[in-house]
Amino acid sequence: MLEFIYQSGWGAFTMLLLFQIPFLLVFLTVIYRKAYVDTSASTITDAKISKLRGGWLTLVIALFLVINIVGIQYIPAIYTAKAANSSVAAVDVAIEAQSWSYDMSVREFEVGKPVRFNAVSLDTVHGFAVYHPGGRVLFTMMLVPGVGESSLIYTFNEPGTYKVRCLEYCGAAHHEMSDEIIVTEASS
Amino acid sequence: MSYATSMVAAVPVFGRMFKVESEAELEDINAWPAAMIMASFIWFFAAVLLGISLPLTQMLGLDASLFYTAITGHGAAMAFPFVFQLMMGVGLHRAAGCVGKPVSGWIPATAFWMMNIGALLFTIAILMGLKISYAVMYPLPVVGVETGQWSMTSLIIGFTGIAGILVTVIVLFPVQVIKMFFFDKEREELVLHRRKLSDPGMLGMAMAAFVLLIMGSPLLIVASAVLLGLYGILPFAWIPWATDPMVFQFVFYIFAHNLMEAMAIMIVSAVYATLPLYLADGTRQLYSNKLANLALWILLVTSVTSFFHHFYTMFPALPSALSYHGNIMSWGTGVGAAITIFTITMTIVKHGLRAEAGVMAVLMGFTLYILDGVSAIITSTVAWSYQLHGTMWQAGHTMAVLIAVAMMWMGVLLHHYPVITGRVLDKTRGMWFVILYTVGAMGLAYSFLAAGAAGMPRRFASWDQEGWMIYGYLILFFGLCMTLSMLIFFIDVSKARRINTGAEAAPAE
Ligand SMILES: [Cu+2]
Repeated sequence: MLEFIYQSGWGAFTMLLLFQIPFLLVFLTVIYRKAYVDTSASTITDAKISKLRGGWLTLVIALFLVINIVGIQYIPAIYTAKAANSSVAAVDVAIEAQSWSYDMSVREFEVGKPVRFNAVSLDTVHGFAVYHPGGRVLFTMMLVPGVGESSLIYTFNEPGTYKVRCLEYCGAAHHEMSDEIIVTEASS
Repeated sequence: MSYATSMVAAVPVFGRMFKVESEAELEDINAWPAAMIMASFIWFFAAVLLGISLPLTQMLGLDASLFYTAITGHGAAMAFPFVFQLMMGVGLHRAAGCVGKPVSGWIPATAFWMMNIGALLFTIAILMGLKISYAVMYPLPVVGVETGQWSMTSLIIGFTGIAGILVTVIVLFPVQVIKMFFFDKEREELVLHRRKLSDPGMLGMAMAAFVLLIMGSPLLIVASAVLLGLYGILPFAWIPWATDPMVFQFVFYIFAHNLMEAMAIMIVSAVYATLPLYLADGTRQLYSNKLANLALWILLVTSVTSFFHHFYTMFPALPSALSYHGNIMSWGTGVGAAITIFTITMTIVKHGLRAEAGVMAVLMGFTLYILDGVSAIITSTVAWSYQLHGTMWQAGHTMAVLIAVAMMWMGVLLHHYPVITGRVLDKTRGMWFVILYTVGAMGLAYSFLAAGAAGMPRRFASWDQEGWMIYGYLILFFGLCMTLSMLIFFIDVSKARRINTGAEAAPAE
């Protein structure tokens, strides 16, 4: 569940709706009622207002803390550091992006083996996004020329053909800048 | 009649929508704002047509270069000569009427011409082949010349245009605001509704002026150096500090991010000023000015350094400490927004609302702005950024914040329209505009965000992969809704009725 929420676009979309729908319901109801149903001044007391205000701000701060603290483990810098410190050695891949293709030192990986993607751009800003065979983005990296490698460790857990796409607009054939990665079952 | 007023009156079609027929003594706070507002809607008209053409080029399978041309023009026209110019026009009129200072002289005139000639030059460059998106994507403009994608001439013309726009946004507009707030002499006859700087309806305007001036200066310096290099005045060997991609990216986003935040701070402030004028019990006060100002201060402080969220996915080139900082600051703006939501809701609950098109546009724009704020803090959370950065989610966020801010300013404009032009608008048309615009904007935002969740890349001329075209159809449908709402708005302002002098008093502010 948490994995879905924090590690997929649709998880992000779910979180979006969890915030937006209550806001929409309450705010639009208030506007509708106070503009069309009963426009008279309300008798709500100051004590009641400050109670509501306290409750609202507590809720906001609580959501702020909970969502961000739970999300820490899904930050690539964190899971990369964890994988780097584990006993399993990561496979290193060097990637050079240049308008409009990728040069990758390795294109085939095994399920369960951590892979360290080290990517640079040789000309303009490019992206390196790896898509799950089902179509969702697993991760994307932005590659700015001249600033060194963008890097993270990712461990594939399903075999298949994974699409690579550039997600930073890079000129005339930007939409053709893509590649493929093959992930196979673990050999041992 | 001033030169700005006669110029507006002389423009075909759009001139009659915004020509100034108000009292002559208000000329100094109406003339240039009316010119800016009129010009902004001409650009909006062009931007909407280009926007509609984007899904069409994909559905009809037209050449990718058309798509990239249209997207560059669409984004640039929406952000600068439309939304920023509309804000500048309405905002300057509003601020001037609150402090009784004129919006006349060379600064507003130069701001107007620099913005519009700049945008025109950029448009010419785009038509000559410069396809760099409104985010410039530096060093793409230079790489594109090296690889023969566009010419050096188009790059020089384009960058000259951008420089004109930047001078208006970063220098002329903020200087005019600061001059009015802190220097010029008050003229009694120009005061429409006196406000102090501590008033929530004014404070945001002052904050925004300083944000633009301070956060924009580094970009102005770097961009000027690059431009002088392109002109051949400065040898490129002298300015490696300006041509470095990372330097340019940072100064660009420190500016571009804060430009959006400044526009948000300014419009929240305008909402604080406008809402009380439409309360049913005639209170003309927010439920709490202190809480309103607190929200503005929180927004100001947190927004300044949240720009790091544009760079999370280049880790470790962006150290993770700066990513966490950007993450927390981005959520901090949400705390400011939560306080604003409370202030506005409680004000309406306590005092009731007079449902008129102006205030409804402001409130629906505010609703869109808050909905968009959620999409912004989600994509500004480090973990989610890795799934969403560079997808349609972010295109949707940028677009939604622009159309939300535009709608709020259009609401404020509907409120000020009688004072500026001396004409009144039709209530039914105003309401239809609000309804269709809201439906169109919400539909567009959700279509883009869902496309992004599905992994559809932004600025990507190949929608026919992975079943993404469905989002294209949704975008086209809701885009047409917005087009229709805009046409109703244009009909409304074209057919506005002259106020009979003395018979129908203009709303005071
Ligand atoms: Cu690329």
